[in-house]
Amino acid sequence: MMSKLLLIIKIARRSIWRNKRRTLISLFSIVIATGIPTFFVCVAWGFYGALVDDVARLMAGHITYEHIEYRDSPSNDLWVDDIESINGILNNNANVESTKQLINLQGVAHTAKGSVRVSLMGVEPSKEIFISFLPESIVAGEYLSPGDGRWVIVGSKLAERLNIKVGKKFVFTTNDINGELVEDLFRVKGIFETGSKEIDGHFVQSDINFARMIAGLDNDDASQLGIIVKNPDTHEYFVEEWQNTLAKNDGVFLSWQQIMPDIATTIQMDRTAIISFMFMLVVIVLFTMFSTILMSTIERKREFASLLALGTQQIELKLQIFFETFIFGIIACPLGSLLGVGFAKWAEGFDIMSIFEDVNPEDMEIGGFGMDTVITPLFSTSLILQIGISFFLAVLLLSVFPIYLISRISITDELRST
Amino acid sequence: MEEIVSLHDVVKNYGQGKVITKALRGIDLKIIEGDFSVMMGPSGCGKSTLLNIIGGLDRATRGDVKFNGKDFNILSNKALSIMRRQHIGFVFQNYNLLPVLTAYENAEYVLMLQGVEPTKRRAKVMHLFQEMNLDGLENRYPRELSGGQQQRVAIARAVATEPQLVLADEITANVDSKTAQSLLELMAALNKNNNTTFLFSTHDPAVIKFAKKIIILKDGMINSEKASSEEIEQFTHK
Repeated sequence: MMSKLLLIIKIARRSIWRNKRRTLISLFSIVIATGIPTFFVCVAWGFYGALVDDVARLMAGHITYEHIEYRDSPSNDLWVDDIESINGILNNNANVESTKQLINLQGVAHTAKGSVRVSLMGVEPSKEIFISFLPESIVAGEYLSPGDGRWVIVGSKLAERLNIKVGKKFVFTTNDINGELVEDLFRVKGIFETGSKEIDGHFVQSDINFARMIAGLDNDDASQLGIIVKNPDTHEYFVEEWQNTLAKNDGVFLSWQQIMPDIATTIQMDRTAIISFMFMLVVIVLFTMFSTILMSTIERKREFASLLALGTQQIELKLQIFFETFIFGIIACPLGSLLGVGFAKWAEGFDIMSIFEDVNPEDMEIGGFGMDTVITPLFSTSLILQIGISFFLAVLLLSVFPIYLISRISITDELRST
Repeated sequence: MEEIVSLHDVVKNYGQGKVITKALRGIDLKIIEGDFSVMMGPSGCGKSTLLNIIGGLDRATRGDVKFNGKDFNILSNKALSIMRRQHIGFVFQNYNLLPVLTAYENAEYVLMLQGVEPTKRRAKVMHLFQEMNLDGLENRYPRELSGGQQQRVAIARAVATEPQLVLADEITANVDSKTAQSLLELMAALNKNNNTTFLFSTHDPAVIKFAKKIIILKDGMINSEKASSEEIEQFTHK
């Protein structure tokens, strides 16, 4: 049995090299067809991954715990209490990298120059330094330190609109949790620049305790608890688990997709576009490949007929055709994956803005957040394997029709033909 | 002598409805172990059709076809295939060697299908190659062999399994007369030494010289099993 199988594999292996040029063209097309989507997916998924991670770290984490009604109306008077107990448990969870308590207050910033709508985010500076990219985006002054009080950092565009510099003051007006109008004086400790119009134009960060004081919240209260997980791909599992085990009556755990639906939808649309492109590529390449395999089967009908005459079973010839496509796939698909990964690796660190010189970097935004234009590919083994295996299976499917043809061969008709 | 093939009132029609071609019209034939039979007749008389039916490559429209007493009409395609593998050897006009296998591998092919052990396969094929003057050509591919050498390999493949019957369809048509002579001598020797039964379909007068029995086929019917010299003359000048 084994020697028969080895014989079939040997014939299949040698048969595909019978027409070397045709075989090489087919192999090349599968390699390219597997390589291009692998490259695109590594790069695009890398962009998305980096964007989501950056935004999650800047804002409210991969998973957010907040008041159950906060999503519908993110007002200052919707907060979650007893935050320390949940925070303590999550900080001891092996899957959690870090947590961040946030106080979010919507208000208006005033100077003599004018008034601008702003979002004040009270953060824990000691944690934020390790979690968020914002401390690295400071272009003037310094980032926050614990106990900074009324010292805040502001976006570069906001600073420009309010005509404020490091050390200067502005007034912040908001509502406390009781709905009372409150005002306080802030001093600019630093100015950051992220490249995002929304963040740079309307975002202010302060120490959490000062923000709590303005809002009238207790030390155990927060607008949100952001959770940074070690593996963002697994976050959906934890959302459900923590909702069932940790959430209080008025609290809810939400995924970043629920917190930032604009980004989630845009990424989903982009992914769909890439997958559609991949699908079209697959169809075109597979059609080429299909005609190669079909042609090579039709050309050998007489040969198959003589083998059948000698007592070869139909199943043995079918296996031969199957192994021919198998060999094609097993050589070309991994090579294609390697090519895609290699090319993505080569492109790592390349700033795509250097190609699109006419494009304003500020226009490269998804859901109001700026995209990093430097290629940072995501080399996810499972993703690369999924693409490679999908192509491999598609190549294997190509053997179905030629196998059907084999079953229709008339020995006498084929042997009669010259 | 044991009867290998027995045909009774075998009819083969091609086509359907009003357009029917009658290829065989009631053939009665027996092939006995050790026969070296030659089948002759004009083109289109049904020689190849008859060979195909005897070899289990095609099925008769009507009539009994028995091989070793087994009725081909009731055997499945798979059973027919196994029957061919085990008991029948084929030599084709165009050799039909597998181009991706070497001469040795081609000759070994059916033995591998039968599951014969490697050492026995090797011994058998090497012995045949020696007997057929194919020494030193084992590793050559068919494209590297002459027509005569290819046909020798095809014969080696056909007889390697020691089949009860070898069917040879116009095997000298594509080789020169000297090569044809040597091929026929080889097959006659196999017939004499191993008692291998041969049934030829041919137009070649050289084949007739070796024949123990000559079957004349005309218009899908057996005209005689002992051809006259005129008939031989007539069909060998095609």
